[in-house]
Amino acid sequence: MEAAAVSGTHGSHAGVHDEEHHGPPEANRSSRVEPQLLGMLLFIISEVMVFGAFFTAYFFIRVVNGDQWPAEGTELPKLIAGVNTAILLSSSFTMHWALECAKSGNRFGLKAGIVTTLGLGATFLFIQINEYVHIGFSPADTAQASVFYGLTGLHGAHVFVGLTLLSMVTIRSFKGHFTPEEHRGVEVPGIYWHFVDVMWVIVYLSVYII
Amino acid sequence: MLNPLRSEAEAFRFLIYVVVVAVLIAGFVLLVRALV
Repeated sequence: MEAAAVSGTHGSHAGVHDEEHHGPPEANRSSRVEPQLLGMLLFIISEVMVFGAFFTAYFFIRVVNGDQWPAEGTELPKLIAGVNTAILLSSSFTMHWALECAKSGNRFGLKAGIVTTLGLGATFLFIQINEYVHIGFSPADTAQASVFYGLTGLHGAHVFVGLTLLSMVTIRSFKGHFTPEEHRGVEVPGIYWHFVDVMWVIVYLSVYII
Repeated sequence: MLNPLRSEAEAFRFLIYVVVVAVLIAGFVLLVRALV
């Protein structure tokens, strides 16, 4: 009798389990921070270190060696890069707007915001590549040129990764994956995109302006 | 305390702060360079 009761209880638990969860068991969580945020947090910390290594090379040339910047006979297109900076900063505003729309359930705003962010980011990258084509020096010419291409190229690679993430967000937005309750898929790429912008502001001011 | 890695809103606010501080530093450096 008792065995039957236990068996019956077990059976009903199994039934509830089957209804609520499918697939493999959920992964163990050892942190209070959400896994998606924790992953991006650790990734961005490692990225800061990578940029730090490139900035070390830059400051070594300018401060320790005291070399001329940019190298003699070369010029950096400050104005075009300034316009590009404005484009990238604008994309952070549209990214923020897109997430606010996702939070408030405004699907059109989310889609418009993400597509605009994607377009602005792609424009930034296009102008950057065009700048490389017309700048008139190659990475092999001088140490200053190597560091210039290294820093701006590293940042450009990050913009490319950001655009890849934004493309996924765009597709998911159009498929209606995000709701006011579930918008982590917009929030985490958004943090990355703002990080890319922060790094560009520092790169632009130190490489082109100062 | 502001933590730019906690949420997008905080990352956005951090970006605004960085822009303001970086522009102030660049402006100060350019001003000093012009005066010296």
